[in-house]
Formats: sequence, C-alpha cells, structure tokens
Amino acid sequence: MKKLQFYILGFSALMLCDTLTQISFKLASNHGGEFAMQLEWFLSIFSQPWIYGAVLGYLGSFIAWMTLLKHAPVGPAFAASHLEVVLVLIVSAVYFGDRLAPMQIVGALLIVLGIVCLSFSEAEHENDEVH
Amino acid sequence: MSSIAILIWVINVTLDTVGHVALKFAAVSDSKESTELARWKFMLGSFPLWVGIVCFCLEFVVWLAFLSVLSLSQGVLLGAINMVSIVIAGRLVFKEKLDRMRLLGMALITVGVIFVGIYA
Repeated sequence: MKKLQFYILGFSALMLCDTLTQISFKLASNHGGEFAMQLEWFLSIFSQPWIYGAVLGYLGSFIAWMTLLKHAPVGPAFAASHLEVVLVLIVSAVYFGDRLAPMQIVGALLIVLGIVCLSFSEAEHENDEVH
Repeated sequence: MSSIAILIWVINVTLDTVGHVALKFAAVSDSKESTELARWKFMLGSFPLWVGIVCFCLEFVVWLAFLSVLSLSQGVLLGAINMVSIVIAGRLVFKEKLDRMRLLGMALITVGVIFVGIYA
C-alpha cells in the first residue's frame, strides 16, 4: 500500500473510532439520564448496548493509534488523535442538535489551533530525537 | 456550568493526568528485558501500570457522568484541557521540554476552554 493511502486510511480510522466512542458515550449517558450517585444510574447505563459501542471505539482507536505510530510521524498522528474534536462537533450539531454560543465557537477555534500548535511541537521534538 | 459539572470535570482531568503519568512511569521503567514480550511481562507486574489502568477505568465512568450533565460538543471541548494538564505534568515529573510552540498551544487551548466553560 502506498504511504499516502496508508496515512489517509489510518488517520481516518483513528478519527472515526474516536468519534464513535464519544457518540456512544453520549447515547449511553442519555439513556441513564442526569448523573446520580446511585446504583440505578450505573445499571441503566451498563444495561444498554451503546456503552459497549464506546468500548469497541476505544479498542479500534488503540489499534489504529499503535499502527499509525509505527509508521507515521508523531506530529500528524498526535493531531489526528485529538482533532476528532472537529468531527464530534459536526456530529453533535447534526445528530444531537447541539448549538454553541458565538463565544464558544471562538473557544472551539482556539482549541483546534492549540492542538495544531502542539502537533507541530511534537513533530519538532521527534526531529530532535532523530538527529 | 453547574457545580456538579465542574466537580466531575476536575475529577476527570485529575484521573486522566495521573493515568498518563503512571503509564509513562511504567513505560520508561528500566526493565533490561531484551524481547518485547518480556518487556510487557515486566510492565504487567509494575505498580504504576495498574495505577494507570485503574485511573482510566474510573475515568470511563466519570466521563459518562460528565456527558450526562453537559452536551457532547461542550464536553469534548472542555475535555481538551487534559492536553494542557498532561504537558504540565510531563514538565514537572519527567522534565520534558516546553518550547514556544508548545506553550502557545497550551495557552490557546486554555483560553478556548475558558470561553467554552464560561458560556456552558
């Protein structure tokens, strides 16, 4: 498989698995209602299938992450592992009807920019180690 | 943000940070094992690894509780602060480098999280 295809497939798989995990978490928590330190809350969460979707998503992310790290530069891999935020935001808006206040949208953009900066920093440190 | 949401958020950040630091301790411990399998066997017997695993298991439940009191979009954005706390912990515990780009990234994420949190 060509390098570019491997990266695209690997990064896409990682982002999709991370997004699946977060959506499953939200659907599972919706089922249990607002958090209460009671046995009933835990039982209602763990007695329906979405919680296992979150576990599957975690496993998929782990496999995709470990495969990517073996071949891909750490900077882009770090970004892909955290920029699932963008995909989750899109799904939350479309599927759950979440709406962010204008200042929260500014906050979201700053967070994404911050993740990109951390990714560049990771890539530079990797180069430090190589040379 | 309600006080219960803030409390759950702080617990989540703490568990995530301690979990990552513990796993890093386990990964860098000098096992002197030659094969990968032997290294994993050594790590499975290390206390920090289990501290990390327990933290992440607890975080699984805490994150569910967090998303039950906030929307998914706000939850994942506020959860981004974990990246900042882990970089700080890496600096304090493992003396990891803090270059300008990393500091800028941390500052941007922190300000972004404050914006999201204030209006949550």
